[in-house]
Amino acid sequence: MKPDPNAPRDHSLARLAAAMAPVLLLLILLPTFVETYQIQLVTYGLIAAIAALGFNLLLGYTGLLSFGHSAYFGLGAYTVAFVVQRLGPHSMEFYILIGIPVVAIASALFGYVCVRHTRIFFGILTLAISQVVYSLALKLYWVTGGSDGLRVPRPALLLGLLNFSGPRGFQQFITSYYYYVLAIFVVCVVLMWVVVHSPFGKALQAIRDNEVRARFLGLRIRRFRWISFLVSGTLTGLAGILWVPLNGLTTPDVLYWTFSGEIVFSALLGGFRNFTGPIVGGIVFTYLKTYAVATTEYWQLLLGVVLVTLVLVLPTGIVGGLSTLGLRLRKGRS
Amino acid sequence: MEKTPTVTPTVNRRAFLNTLGVTVGGTGLIGAGLVGGSQLLKAAQDPAKGRVPDTPFRTGHMTFLTGAGAVLGEPSIKGHTMAAEEINAQGGLLGKRKIETITADEAAGTDACVKEVRRMKLDAKIDMFTGVISSGTSPAVGPVAEELGLLTILTDGCTDFLFDKAIPNPKYVFRITNIQSSDGITAAIGVAQTWPHVRKIAHIHPDYAYGRNASEHFTLALERLVPGTEVVSESWPKLFTTDFAAHITKIMSAQPDLLVASVWGGDYVAFYKQALRYGLFDKMKVASTIAFGVAPHAIGKDHPEGVLAGVHSNYYFTYPGGDRWPLNKSFVQRYFKRWNEYPNFQSEGAYMALYLLKSAIERANKLTGGWPEDEAIISQLEGLGIDAPSGYLYMRPDHQAYKDAVTGFSKNLPDYEFASWDPARIITIPIRNITAPLGWPKPGTTHNESTAAANWIKTTWPKVVG
Repeated sequence: MKPDPNAPRDHSLARLAAAMAPVLLLLILLPTFVETYQIQLVTYGLIAAIAALGFNLLLGYTGLLSFGHSAYFGLGAYTVAFVVQRLGPHSMEFYILIGIPVVAIASALFGYVCVRHTRIFFGILTLAISQVVYSLALKLYWVTGGSDGLRVPRPALLLGLLNFSGPRGFQQFITSYYYYVLAIFVVCVVLMWVVVHSPFGKALQAIRDNEVRARFLGLRIRRFRWISFLVSGTLTGLAGILWVPLNGLTTPDVLYWTFSGEIVFSALLGGFRNFTGPIVGGIVFTYLKTYAVATTEYWQLLLGVVLVTLVLVLPTGIVGGLSTLGLRLRKGRS
Repeated sequence: MEKTPTVTPTVNRRAFLNTLGVTVGGTGLIGAGLVGGSQLLKAAQDPAKGRVPDTPFRTGHMTFLTGAGAVLGEPSIKGHTMAAEEINAQGGLLGKRKIETITADEAAGTDACVKEVRRMKLDAKIDMFTGVISSGTSPAVGPVAEELGLLTILTDGCTDFLFDKAIPNPKYVFRITNIQSSDGITAAIGVAQTWPHVRKIAHIHPDYAYGRNASEHFTLALERLVPGTEVVSESWPKLFTTDFAAHITKIMSAQPDLLVASVWGGDYVAFYKQALRYGLFDKMKVASTIAFGVAPHAIGKDHPEGVLAGVHSNYYFTYPGGDRWPLNKSFVQRYFKRWNEYPNFQSEGAYMALYLLKSAIERANKLTGGWPEDEAIISQLEGLGIDAPSGYLYMRPDHQAYKDAVTGFSKNLPDYEFASWDPARIITIPIRNITAPLGWPKPGTTHNESTAAANWIKTTWPKVVG
């Protein structure tokens, strides 16, 4: 066989495929083992993972901490709600088709402003912009429903092929939607893997590690950061688009800064220095919050304690901690 | 189909209020309390028919357990718990199935509430869902309960929007408190009757469904009862705000004759205490739809007198007072004995929700024997009438319950350690006179008003002259 110029990338994709295959198989078989409720929770988790994955392109690979990713998630969700209200068709593909350009344009626009600064200034700018969007959603009561939000009924999937209106429609919808989200999730993971291992991704990491050197190499830093912001915001927006039909409703809660905080929390929880960290973090956080709310009225306290412990004991997150542990075990054996 | 009359008929105010059946001083129910003792507490006369399983009947009760809403939420869970304890002491539902309750905190946010209802049904396997305070929560969880096929009796969250638009044809979801539009209308009637001279009106409402609804229906009704008023100031604080200073100064600078408020729970307590410092209550009349909706002891002795202190047009524990309605007397006594405090309208609503369910289950059991299916319980709930501490409670076939509306004026009585209602000035209004009747066209059908009630007022109420 002739040597392929793309060999390294193929190799890395193969590595991803090898790592993902067992997990994917487990996820595909999941609905045969567990009840609707758990499937629904995993779906929420996968969506949170997509959001965190997008967020982490900025934090983990570009070195920019955004405190305003709720804006893109929320914009995705509200775009779907507006499409339902104004345009009518209950088709998931249609929602995605309209939603992606909207969140992409918004991320491009807001990103253009934000990437002019770095560090805390960048964080504050992203936070400020997301709070503006939040205030609009809250105060334009007659358009957005204010704090009551907007309802989104169950859409049809696969161009109307799958419809869910029967008496057990909800249960059927959850199972089908789980596979739908899983498929998109896999596409997102592969896409993100390709991005971070491409020359573009390497350039982002170079910028993250040493901005001055990267500039001397001739990289157009601001443009790289801008594109990174665009991809990151769009992916988080896609998560918002997928989230709203599952939740059935969108409220300004998903635009509020605390929701941005949850995305940051997810990335930290899993470990933002790892590719898989945010994925694990998104899913674990979904479970953590759900069961914290369900078991105690002091759930905020519980989440706070987890966050503090995490930062003090496991600064590299769950995945980082596990891989360190794995390394140590291997060393101990040899 | 109704058509808007081209000329709105006019009447004088006194005649109009008379046709509305407004009663002051609380004589409305005299002679009604002839039934001795508490019939709610009596065990079912006949033993249940057929085989009834003795597995627990699991209910999920969602309410505010934390934050500024908890002054309404705690009474709700206490009312529910007391009813469950009483029913369980008689052996449970149909004498067999003990009521078990799991709770969820409504303060976790609307999205979290949606998830919680799903968890309660799919994971914790509840048989019935009940509770909910906020009108932001009920339109979110109502459709979820419908899609899950989860029998639900909401004890508040009484926005018209729920049955007007969110679930216009409910199957599983019922609601036990008066519909929200009646709240604004009740306050407007209280104002028209007490202070017909007010002209300049200021508003302060929480910025979400309830505040918008209260403001709209108050204004709609007042326009017809007191012509020539104008709105001079509007404030929309966010729900669960604790700092009202900016709003209070804005209201006072507008120099209104009357302030209309629908801030509730801990928000109202914070509001009135701050307003006192500014002397707001000396400068204007204050009419509230829900000031005394909180647990009664949450209001201090420092609360000014003579404020129209609404209770969501539902229930206040001193009415019907004395021995006139033994059901209320005994309910308040038992509640006080159990919790060492007095009930509010949430306590009564949550308490009655379980008794309404119990009554429907017993009726269904008589017909079918054994434990009735949800469908059988639902058909018994539709159109069910029951005696409650607040008076007669009627569950309309469209799943919205009604009882006569009530409101009153604050007064410091020596009997209580908190400001309560002036017993001589309690206003009651027959509910049918202030709510759109069954089957009235819903928004989006023959009209596009915000609620069926708004359309009903606009098309059928005359205007007062002079």
